Amino acid sequence: MDPQIIGQMLVSGALMGLLYALIAYGFQLTYATSRSLNFGQGELVMVSAFVALTFTNLGLPYGLMLPAALAFGALAGLGVERAAVRLALRQKSEGWIMLTIIVGLFLASAAENIWGRDDRPFPTPIPSDPVHLFGIDITPLELSVALGALGVMGLIELCKRRTLLGKAVAAVAADPDAAELVGISATRAVMLSYALSGMVAALAGVLVSPITTVGPTMGAVLVLKAFSVAVVAGLDSGFGVVLVGMFLGALESIASFYLGSGWREAPGLVLLILALAVRPHGVFGRAAIRKV
Amino acid sequence: MGVSMRDGAKLAVAELNAAGGIQVGKRKLLIEVVERDDEAKNERGALIAQELSAMDGLAGVIGSVNTGVVMAGDRHFQEKGITKIITPAAGSDSMTQWVTAGAKDLSIFRFAAADGIQSAMVVAEAVRRGFTKVIILHDSTNYGVSGRDDLVRQIAAQGGKLQVVATEKFNIGDKDMTAQLLRAKAGGAQAVLIWGIGPELAAVANGMAKLGLKIPLIGGWPLSMSNFIDNAGKNGNGTLMPQTFIEEPINPRVASFIATFHKTYNVTRMASPVSAAQGYDAVLIFAAAVKQAQSTDTHKIKEALENLKEPVPGVIATWRHPYSRWDPANELTHEAFRKEQTVMGEVLDGRVMFANQADKDRLAKAGMGR
Repeated sequence: MDPQIIGQMLVSGALMGLLYALIAYGFQLTYATSRSLNFGQGELVMVSAFVALTFTNLGLPYGLMLPAALAFGALAGLGVERAAVRLALRQKSEGWIMLTIIVGLFLASAAENIWGRDDRPFPTPIPSDPVHLFGIDITPLELSVALGALGVMGLIELCKRRTLLGKAVAAVAADPDAAELVGISATRAVMLSYALSGMVAALAGVLVSPITTVGPTMGAVLVLKAFSVAVVAGLDSGFGVVLVGMFLGALESIASFYLGSGWREAPGLVLLILALAVRPHGVFGRAAIRKV
Repeated sequence: MGVSMRDGAKLAVAELNAAGGIQVGKRKLLIEVVERDDEAKNERGALIAQELSAMDGLAGVIGSVNTGVVMAGDRHFQEKGITKIITPAAGSDSMTQWVTAGAKDLSIFRFAAADGIQSAMVVAEAVRRGFTKVIILHDSTNYGVSGRDDLVRQIAAQGGKLQVVATEKFNIGDKDMTAQLLRAKAGGAQAVLIWGIGPELAAVANGMAKLGLKIPLIGGWPLSMSNFIDNAGKNGNGTLMPQTFIEEPINPRVASFIATFHKTYNVTRMASPVSAAQGYDAVLIFAAAVKQAQSTDTHKIKEALENLKEPVPGVIATWRHPYSRWDPANELTHEAFRKEQTVMGEVLDGRVMFANQADKDRLAKAGMGR
């Protein structure tokens, strides 16, 4: 088999995989502080993309549209936390599972009603003509997805490790009650994590839309893959999601080439089952020891 | 597609009503429209078909975009003998299912170029351009799968001049077609024969541009949908597809239809010109059947449709005896379109134009004799 074709598949797949990783990272952020996930994360990606498209259509240049969309994402994340998560956490119930799904469904219906059911193109100043590198075609758009995803994940990880705020969040993650005792507001930390998670979703939406177009169902496909990535990598390993995301993306390309396009999703699901059977806390995750 | 079809149909209804309605006996009857949206969901379509076939005084049904919806719902109309004109769903199974079932009588008619005609044209176009190696890409819906079978059948029927280097499918919602297209590249395909619906088709065109695959995309008529043309942008140029209607004012009748449509719906381009024109002409044909039957009874309208005496001047063609009595062995008796009413269209900078000047001249002439 032509090595160029294999290389092309690996690279295209891995670049798509970084997007899964970025969305998976959104899951990790909230899981770290509150052991809860936003199951409507895909809908946040979608709504943010539509809002970004609206900003663009209003004439906002890319440089202003991006921060505006990120701000919207952060606000939407806060909204999810307030509407679906806070009360459930306070009651120590698992109600957030159902509630975040409901918020997601609500956003999906709202988007259909506001923007319609059609997929729409997303204009971008980043060129989409391919660049030829070592016999492999890559578009600057794909590179922007990779750089954006890695950049923002690196930045957040750095803040988590190096700043006082990051340490406070880590303290809440370790033991919310103890953190409260030393004067850290657990609620604030959870709010922050949801805001960041929403922002990450918005970034994913803006980055992927020029490639995939914007439509009310765009989030559903992405989020399922992202969830697999998060679970396989482990819900507490930032670098794990990057590796697993790229691996899953490349695996999908290879599988659909060799096994036929109908089998595209199969290896990912097998991987998910294997990971859950062999390492239920994730390939890169740490086994949690719970004192009973 | 559905919205364009509805808008075209309602335009015809508005014009007929504005002219006083349809003369039945001593009275002129106005057409009243009942609208339902199946949301392209098979199960929703089945429910709507049940509801409509139980409705009192319903003269007939026009519509259905998706072959899957037709397959799920039409048996309810057939059971009650409700006259239905299918447009714009083109999948072959919509009509051949009744041949397979051995229906003795049929109240279902089609007003769209069936995939049988379309796939024959697609294969002929590839052969005409001297291609020998092609890849077949299709979506995994009823429509895509039946289109793939039609293509394979046509390649064999037209002398097996095309070698299929790979047959690949994709799902609704898929955005990344790299793997499928690399198979085309690896196999040295000279054209992509494709059966699918708008957004995924655009993903294919964009994927081809990314991989530097500069070969033509030839396929079913949804390649003329605005959600293909807009989402593919310049990557859509040169794409070829069979069309029953091209939004070019080639003769006065067509020009007036296009102008009225643009004005009524405040657009500069029809989202799906084929759907709009088919919706419009289907209503005219239905109205002609009501007039001939001198009744709004759906069974009598069906009898009239099977033997329309007066020619119906539409925007696609002047329809002379479009249908005949149902022959359980030949679904063409209830199909209005033949190859003559279908031309090749080509995408050029966001619009669908005539691919062949000869077709344009022929249709321009045909419409002059009004």
